[in-house]
Amino acid sequence: MPKRTPENPNPPLPLSRRTFLKTVGVGAAAAGLVAPGARTADAAVLGPDAVPLPLKVNGATHTVVVEPRVTLLRALRNHLGLTGAKEVCERGACGACTVLFDGEPVCACLMLAVDAVGHEIVTVEGLGTPERLSPVQAAFVECDALQCGFCTPGFVVASTALLAKNPKPNPEEIKAGLAGNLCRCGTYSRIFDAVRTAAGRRG
Amino acid sequence: MAEQQDQAFQVKVGPAESPLTLTVHPAAGDLRPWDNDSRLRTVKGRHQRLEAPQKVTGSAKYTYDVSLPGMLWAKMVRAPIPAGRILRIDTSGAERLSGVKAVWTTDAKLVRFAGQDIAAVAAVSQEIAEDAARLVEVQVEATPFVTDLEEAMTPKAPLVYAEGQPPALAKAPRQGNVVGPLPPPTLGGARGGTRGDVEKGLAEAATIHEATYRLAVHTHAVLETHGVVAHWEGDRLTAYASTQGVFMVRAALAEAFDLDRKKVRVISEHMGGGFGSKLYPSAVGSAFAIVACRLARQTGAPVKLMLDRHEEQICTGNAPGAQMTVRIGATADGTLTAIHHRAYTEGGIGQSARTGGPAGSMYPECPNVKIEEHDVFTNAGPTCALRAPGHPQGAFALECAMDELAHRLGIDPLEFRRKNDAHPFRKAYYDVGAKAIGWHRRNRVPGATPGPKKRGIGMAHGNWYVLFREAVAVEVRVHRDGSVELFHGAQDLGTGIRTALAAVAAEELGLRPADITVHVGDTQYPPGGTSGGSTTTNSSAPAARLAAHQARTRLAALVAPLLKAKPEELDFVGGRIAVTAEPTRTVSFREAAQKMPGEVIVCVADRKKQFEAVRQDLAATQFAEVEVDVETGVIRVLKMVGVHNCGTPINLLTAENQLVGGQIQGASWALYEHRTLDRNLGTMVNPNLEAYKILGPADMFEAVPILTEGTNAGNNTSATGMAEPVFVPTLAAIANAVFNATGVRLRELPMTPDRVLAALAAAGKGGSP
Repeated sequence: MPKRTPENPNPPLPLSRRTFLKTVGVGAAAAGLVAPGARTADAAVLGPDAVPLPLKVNGATHTVVVEPRVTLLRALRNHLGLTGAKEVCERGACGACTVLFDGEPVCACLMLAVDAVGHEIVTVEGLGTPERLSPVQAAFVECDALQCGFCTPGFVVASTALLAKNPKPNPEEIKAGLAGNLCRCGTYSRIFDAVRTAAGRRG
Repeated sequence: MAEQQDQAFQVKVGPAESPLTLTVHPAAGDLRPWDNDSRLRTVKGRHQRLEAPQKVTGSAKYTYDVSLPGMLWAKMVRAPIPAGRILRIDTSGAERLSGVKAVWTTDAKLVRFAGQDIAAVAAVSQEIAEDAARLVEVQVEATPFVTDLEEAMTPKAPLVYAEGQPPALAKAPRQGNVVGPLPPPTLGGARGGTRGDVEKGLAEAATIHEATYRLAVHTHAVLETHGVVAHWEGDRLTAYASTQGVFMVRAALAEAFDLDRKKVRVISEHMGGGFGSKLYPSAVGSAFAIVACRLARQTGAPVKLMLDRHEEQICTGNAPGAQMTVRIGATADGTLTAIHHRAYTEGGIGQSARTGGPAGSMYPECPNVKIEEHDVFTNAGPTCALRAPGHPQGAFALECAMDELAHRLGIDPLEFRRKNDAHPFRKAYYDVGAKAIGWHRRNRVPGATPGPKKRGIGMAHGNWYVLFREAVAVEVRVHRDGSVELFHGAQDLGTGIRTALAAVAAEELGLRPADITVHVGDTQYPPGGTSGGSTTTNSSAPAARLAAHQARTRLAALVAPLLKAKPEELDFVGGRIAVTAEPTRTVSFREAAQKMPGEVIVCVADRKKQFEAVRQDLAATQFAEVEVDVETGVIRVLKMVGVHNCGTPINLLTAENQLVGGQIQGASWALYEHRTLDRNLGTMVNPNLEAYKILGPADMFEAVPILTEGTNAGNNTSATGMAEPVFVPTLAAIANAVFNATGVRLRELPMTPDRVLAALAAAGKGGSP
């Protein structure tokens, strides 16, 4: 890649983004750069300057003005003040930034904010509040499924997604469902208890 | 004023099965300590963490989450190679980038590890700060380096510090990169240490075992990276810091900027993990907090500087790797005659941790003990405290050696330890732990299970010390509306100190912990200690009890006339104040509060001095069951039982959680974690969380936490620490279980599949190298 300098902080790529997309034709990448739903070769190129992006988060649409390279995680944290999802590894290794993307758990650090346009994002803040905890959040509190709490939002979201798909997971399914998340204090057995507790209440 | 006389109380303490009567002498004004006979209503219960609702909803604000108006983002630049002379740091490119507001460069002339502070930038966004950091050009003239422990010990190894130029270390002989033998440590009063004559003891032994045990460097890998948000208002500085010691950070920042400490405020409301790495003003291998404060002063704007994951792995400390040779001997009936522990631990560019603690103090009946500890410098990030510094490593060597010697003597390893162990708590642990793991199921002949998946059971001991800080105070406020607030400066690392303090205060006031709003982690509150070495509960809880007791005394005096009783005849229970002899004569706590003359009763209490206790050390015993696949070399931990005592467990729910957490971190060290440095480049190969593997949900085992009954005295709550001992025995317990499963001894951690297969092949038991 050409060197990025102060005089030329965003040098042209050897391939234009448009040619790149035409050549490779990656659906997922293209979807992020164009209007939702459209996957045409005439995709609009966004950036490098900040652009307004309408993000539907926790049921409401907010427009953030960010450079297209900004990740969904940083858009949520630094531009929408939703700091529940945590920035920990920045490469999808720990799950602390897990949010729901059209109901699927994803690492918000691995997704660009532009890719979230037109999709429903739910963060841990959207699941419940301290006064009105969701069933999973209430189970985490009861079972003391946390210590320092930095991994907790990610585990709460991942557990919520797991139970939405599989309301009665067995122990192996719980482990597999949460395998993308890490806790350093060592609260896994309590987290498993919390998932079982929340599952049990669903009747 | 004349010194007030200590009090004297007789208390029933020690293990519930074998209690003893102890006369203790608390300071004047202190309370009779809770003992085995105390009938506690709230303490020893299972209380939900007070801050849990905030943490599970993402509304708890950590340092990483702090955002202030006009805040800039800072990013550091680190040395790309492990050793050399800094020729040039060119920040001009970064400074010309739009959005960059300030830069900082180091005064250092030499690079000693890849990751050292070089420069920093402050910019209007996190992304621009990252761009600017990439534009800083650093020219370092490379010099020879050494990053491998055993290579660093050789005479021809490049010197990390030139002769006459080491950092201030213990007065100890130095040869090349090796410093030692080190003088005995000063921390902890119960370390035993060198005694008798080891050679004589070994000569008296019927059987001698000698082996060298090794383990890798481990990083703390805390989830919230180190960081700070610095905010100046005139000459007043507020720092939001992810730290284990807000007062320590305050002192360091005040010194760095030549400020009165009262002008510096440090806040750590919630903190995302420390494990010893956040016991520094910044971090052991970086001065980022000072840099952030400088950039903030220079720009007149708040500055946020959070390390990224790569930085976190290379410059914020680690637990030393070690090479430990143990010589140990016993008579034919299994009586220990000698323990010799000689260790070389890898300090990186810093002072290492001492691994001789377990050998020096675990078996005090052993008459002949020799501890020889050495630090070895390497061109790598400096070591710092990590949960019982040196003790998991030392216990791994000692307790594997004990297991090996028991095997050679033909004695059950548990019986071998029982014969040599005089610790009153630990003696009570053997049977309860053996029953919980099913000790009788272990292989009589190690490796005897048929088939490729071999199961085995092992156990090990660990130890730590009763440590505490006395310059600690707690404030309790009872408001006219009956609400109660508690203020204490110490920070909550995730151990649940908020809830523990609330439980102790609630016990005195007859309330529930949730009735008390606890404020911690702020230098504006009464002083709390730095949280390290398992000190916070036993330092802070006694002061909380005293402050709450004072509030109780004041309230009792207010309502006694109303209840037509004397204040001392009143009991505080279930949110009411009642006449003890006539429990139907009551007023509610809220009604009592409304009798106060003003708006609030404020009670502040200092922690009184530590007094006599059953033990000055903390015992730990853990059992592990593993399954080893001898075809793939993969080890799975199936079950762990931890038997521990923490004096009065203030909150069983959080204490058991912490106990299991120690086992998990220990299992993670035993099987997975390994900081890997590139031999040719001297940089870390796995500075992340996917290749630096820590134990995850899929690896989780059945964990059984057992907190045995029994108070320890020493302070008015009779609580001791908890965080360190739960981590100490785990490595050896798992290694011993692997031996029981396979009949093959692995003496190097982590026990990765390649090492398992190589060991099996070497022993002619399958596997392939």
